[in-house]
Parts: sequence; C-alpha cells; structure tokens
Amino acid sequence: MHEILTNAWFGLMCLMLAFYVITDGFDLGVGILSLFSREEAERDQIFLSIGHVWDANETWLVVLGGAMFGAFPVAYATLMEQLYIPVMALIAFLIMRGAAIEFRHAAQRRRGWDIVFGLGSLGAAACQGVILGQVITGLAPGLVPAGFTAVSALGVIAGYALLGATYLIKKAHGALVEASRSHAVIALMLSFGAAAALTAGTMLSSEIGHGRWMEPGVFPLLVVLAGLATFAGGYVLYSLHIGASHGPFRGAVGLFLASFLGLGISVFPDIVPGKLSLAEAASDSATMAFMLCGIAVVFPVMIGYNLYQYHVFRGRVQLDH
Amino acid sequence: MHEASLLLSRAQFALTAIFHILWPILTISLSAFILLMEALWIKRGEIVYYHHVRYWSKLLILNFAVGVVSGIPMEFQFGTNWAPFSRFTGAFVGNILGFEGAMAFMLEAGFIGVMLWGWNKVPRGVHLFATAMVALGSTISAFWIMVTNSWMQTPAGVTVENGRIVVTSYLDAIFNPGWALGVSHMWLAAMETGLVVVAGISAWHLYRRRHPEFFARSFRLALLTLAVVAPLQVLVGDASGAHVFEHQPAKGAAIEGHWETNAPGTAASWSLLAWPNRKEQRNDWSLEVPGVLSMLATHEVHGKVTGLRDIPLQDQPPALPLLYYAFRLMAGIGFALAALALWTAFGLRQARGRLSALLVQRKLLLAWVLCIPLPYIAVECGWIVREVGRQPWSVYGLLRTSHAASSVAAGAVYSSMAMFIAFYTVLLAAFFIFARKWLRSGPQFEELPHA
Repeated sequence: MHEILTNAWFGLMCLMLAFYVITDGFDLGVGILSLFSREEAERDQIFLSIGHVWDANETWLVVLGGAMFGAFPVAYATLMEQLYIPVMALIAFLIMRGAAIEFRHAAQRRRGWDIVFGLGSLGAAACQGVILGQVITGLAPGLVPAGFTAVSALGVIAGYALLGATYLIKKAHGALVEASRSHAVIALMLSFGAAAALTAGTMLSSEIGHGRWMEPGVFPLLVVLAGLATFAGGYVLYSLHIGASHGPFRGAVGLFLASFLGLGISVFPDIVPGKLSLAEAASDSATMAFMLCGIAVVFPVMIGYNLYQYHVFRGRVQLDH
Repeated sequence: MHEASLLLSRAQFALTAIFHILWPILTISLSAFILLMEALWIKRGEIVYYHHVRYWSKLLILNFAVGVVSGIPMEFQFGTNWAPFSRFTGAFVGNILGFEGAMAFMLEAGFIGVMLWGWNKVPRGVHLFATAMVALGSTISAFWIMVTNSWMQTPAGVTVENGRIVVTSYLDAIFNPGWALGVSHMWLAAMETGLVVVAGISAWHLYRRRHPEFFARSFRLALLTLAVVAPLQVLVGDASGAHVFEHQPAKGAAIEGHWETNAPGTAASWSLLAWPNRKEQRNDWSLEVPGVLSMLATHEVHGKVTGLRDIPLQDQPPALPLLYYAFRLMAGIGFALAALALWTAFGLRQARGRLSALLVQRKLLLAWVLCIPLPYIAVECGWIVREVGRQPWSVYGLLRTSHAASSVAAGAVYSSMAMFIAFYTVLLAAFFIFARKWLRSGPQFEELPHA
C-alpha cells in the first residue's frame, strides 16, 4: 500500500511538473523571445498573449513545491538546502518578471520593464535548467556534472523558447508570426542538440543513469519515447513548413511530454539519482492517502477552470484592447 | 558558522514574511469589497457601482502583483533555510501548504485573468463568478496558512517518531486548539485593513472635494462595514489573548511583562507600561494597575497567571520589550479604529445621507486618511507577537528553532537577503509610484460595460 501511494505521488508530481514546464514554459519562452523584439507595438502583442495566464501557469510550480513538501519532505528539504543558490536565483528572476509584467500595464515608459521581464524569463529558464542538471547528476561536484548542468540549462532555455515561439505563432499577428517561425526552427535545433548531448552524456559518463537504462524493459521504452520525440520534432518542422497556426505548438508540447516521460522513467525509483530513493524520501502512508483524497477532488477542478481561462482568451490577441 | 546562518535565516524569514503579509491582507479584503460592489451593480443596475468595481480593481492589480511575487519565496524558504523543520513537519505542514497552493493560489490565479482582462469577453454573471472566486481563493489561502501557523503554536494530532512527526488524526491537527481564533483574528484583520484603505482613500478624495458623490458611496459602505468588523475584532482579540495565556503561558507572560505568578486567592496586577528586562528577570520600571491581569488573561477575578520566573530561562521568549510594545501597539490600534469607526458611523447616521454634512467634517475625513497605515502596523505587530512570542520554539514544545535551520553557508544567506532587500525596495517604490498615479487619475467614467 505504501509503495503504491509513493509511486502514485511520484506520478502526480511528474504530471504537475509536466503542466508547469509546458504552461510556464511557453510564457517564459515568450519572455525570452521578447528580448529580440525591438518594437513596442510588437511587445504589446507578446505581453497581451500571456497577460491573463502567466500567473496560473507559474502557480503550478508552487503547487508542485507544496506537493513535494508534503509527499516527499526529505526530498524537498534536501534539494532546497543543497540547491540554495540556484533556487534563490530562480526566485529572484521570478520576482523580476512577475513584477515587470504587472507594472508594465501601469507604466508610461515600458521599455525598462520589458527588459526586466525578458531577462527575468531568461534567468528563470536557466536556473531551472541548472536545477534539473544538478538533480540528474545526483548533486555531484566536478567538471563533468558542471558541463552536463550547463548543457541542461541551455536545453531548457532552447526548449522554452521553442514553446514560446510556437505559442506566438498561434496568438500573434503579422510580422511577429513570421519572426516566430524562424525563432522556432532555431530553438528546435538547439533543443535537439542539447537533448542529444545530454543523452550521450548519460550513456557515457553516468553509471547510475546507464545502469537504470540497462534494466530489463527500460531501454526499449526509452527508444520508443525517443522515436516519439523525434516524430514530434519532425511534426513541428512540417507544420512550420506548411504554415499551420496550431500545429507547431502541438508538436512542441508532444516533444516536451515525450522528453519528460523519458526523464521520469530514467530517474525512477530514485528522486535524486543515486542519492535519494522515493521510498526514503516519502511521507507516511496516512499523509499521502489524505493528500491524495484532497488532490483527487481539487485536481479536476483546477484543470477545468484553467481550461476555461484559456477558452475565454482563445484565438489571436485583440490589438484594440 | 551554524549560529550565524541560523540568525541570518531567521532575519531573512522575518523580512520576507513582514514584507509579504502587507499585500495579501489587502487582496483578501479589497477583492471582497469589489465583489460586494459588483453584486450591487448587477442587482441594482446603477452604473456607479460598475465604476467603483473598475476603479478599485486597478488598485487590486498593483497589490496582487506584489503579493504574488513576494509569496513565491515563502513557499520555498521552508526548504532552503529550514530543511530540518521541513523534514520534521513535512507530513503535516507540507501537506497543508500543498492544499493551499492547489485550492487557493490556483483558484485566485485561474480567475484573476478573467476578472481583470475579461470584461468584454464573458457575460456579467460569469464575471461576477470570477470575482467571487478570486475573493474566495484569497480567503481560503488565509485559512490554510492560519491553520498551519496555529498548528505550529498549538500542535495537535501528531506523534513524533524517529525525529519526524507522524499524523495520528488529521481532524485534530487541522482543527488544533488555536485554529478558530487564528483564522478569524487574521481574516478580520485583513478585512479591517481593506476597509480602512477604502475609507481612507475615499476620505482623501472627499477632503479634496473630487467626485464627492462617487466617493461618498464607498466611504459610507466601508464605514458601515467597519463599524461591525472593528468592534468584532476587539472581541476576537480579547479571546485570542486569553487563549495565549491558556496554551502558551510563556508568550502570555512576555507580552504583559508579568514575572511573578499570583498566589491563590489573589489577582495578578497588570502593567500598563513597563520595561521588561530578561537578564534581571524583572521589569526595570512599571506602571501597575492592581488586580487587572487576572481578569484580562483568564476572565476570572482570581485567575492564576503564570509569571515568567516560573518558566525555565531556556523556554522564555527573547526580545521582551519588542513583544511587550508590539502587543500594546496592536491592541491600541485595534481599540482606536473601533472607536473611530463607531463614532463616524454614528455621525453618518445622524447626517442621514446628506453629502454636505459629510464634506464639512474636514478633520474627520483627514483622520481617516491618516488611519491608512494603522491596520498595516497592527498586523505586523500582531505577527511579531505571534512569532517572536513562540520562540524559542519553531513548533511549540516539539521543535526548537535552533534545531530547525538549514546548514547553508552564511555567505549564501547574506546574498539572498541582500537580494530580497534590494528587490523589495524596488517593488515598494514602484508600487507607490503607480498607486500615486492611480490616486491622482481618479475614476474613469468613460469606461462602460458592454451590453
């Protein structure tokens, strides 16, 4: 029973992480891309496209933090303590962009706030990449893990930029859509490059990662997921080529889901590979059961009104607003 | 090394919590006030209520933004700076904070977009629902936070096994002895803050005779509500005080500078003003009122009030003068606001809705403008009493603060704290610049609801 609950919570956390990475991923990506936009009118479109959803998107991170604190307190405590600097830097960047996007509405001179928002988005993406890299390398010191972490930071930035660019393709107007198409291609190439480097790095230099992949049944599954990811990437390119408006974003989401499923499978049954297993990190059964009852009621409602919010603001942004 | 990072972590938590609480208290109450205005608009169809909703929503946006961004550090600091605390309490505190995120933050965040930017996209009823969900979300958030904090004050429903808590009864842990007073005292404080802010800003416009018809309406509504809320808060505050003496005698004795336990059959005397000295274990000086403390603390003439000298030194709270005067400032503001609210509400009743009668009361209007900072000061003082008074415990009686802090390098905590100070200064400055702009521009009567 305890093991089922532990695994259920690991699955739920992966789901929350996927929600976070995809939803906040695109608005962080949009923020990164806003740095490349020189015209204020264009940036108005960029901010209009995420103004109503960025807060809810970011809230998945807070929900994830709470879930981890409750279900895996030891993992929450260990990771936050060990990753003090990147976590604090992430918080700093999130404060920058959250304040900038709301204050920009009230400001007359917006350029400064826009730069703060863009840099905050870029920094937050980089920090998340660093945290991801450090977790995967089991918080190990040294040059190889540092290199791995750097590539992972680059990969997260590129991946979010891909989500952001494909999101703008379906939300923006005119020249911005065209620019986003070329940004999407570059970001896709960089994402694939980083993913390939990280995969090779795990195969060659990480005993734990390599060991997990060689367990029975794991490798074929990962090959299937890698195939799906490649297919999704190809689909992004194809939809960009035919000029589709929604296809590129769907492809990018598919790419992220396949990658994250692969990541979850690679880490399982640890939460920090080689350092901390799920079983060691988990709360008692009563807590996990109680939390599960709560979340079972709340989760569908949360997803429901989030979808409603996206529905209300569907379609391309209204410029006359 | 550990000593330094413990002190820094405590300072950082105090700083981030003191800064953060300024914003949600206004979000909770202002969103409720806007909800009331929007409901009146839909029910009565008078356009003035619509303009009120739009006007106050602009303040809410500014306030909400700072509240959200300053709330993020709170969620993660438990792990970064208080890792042993997180390991120890995670089974309950982590669980409840997870609930807060899922039930409250997400509800607010999920509907704030529709509330602020959805005016021409959804029907009026749906918009009202969105406003209601934002208000509800912020109140649910306060509920879970106060449940968690009350559990840290009066832990229940858990046992300690292998250096970690195990929850034996969720009902007992959530509805711990302090939850009802904790939640209601905080919620009323939030309401009082928003109502004083609305009353104060309306009074400012009335004082300058700008759109007097418009602002008389919000002033009256805020005052009539405040005339109920503020006295109620005094009663809840009194009950909270008695509760502290019952469950946390050291905190109770500390906030009253009370050293000697009164002998049976006698009443403890109350110091009106004093300077408590922890080192000497007495008050350096005090103005005593004989026999009153037993009544205040226990609501009985000869009720026993334990003095600090009967509590081991290692279990006594630190910073006694801070506790003593923070408590007096909070209580003083509570009484003052209740008295001023009742007085003004009585005056409004006498004037029978005549605007001219209100506009000539220049001193009264100015008094309300000057009242704006008071509820904020009271809330901060209240939290200082609550949190510093709980020391040396992190979880009262179960976990000492000295055992709760992470062993992070002091330099790292220095840096993060410098970052918070710099960022919060900018946030505060930007908020005041934009709030001033909003205050000067006044209501936008050209904004009209879509059909």
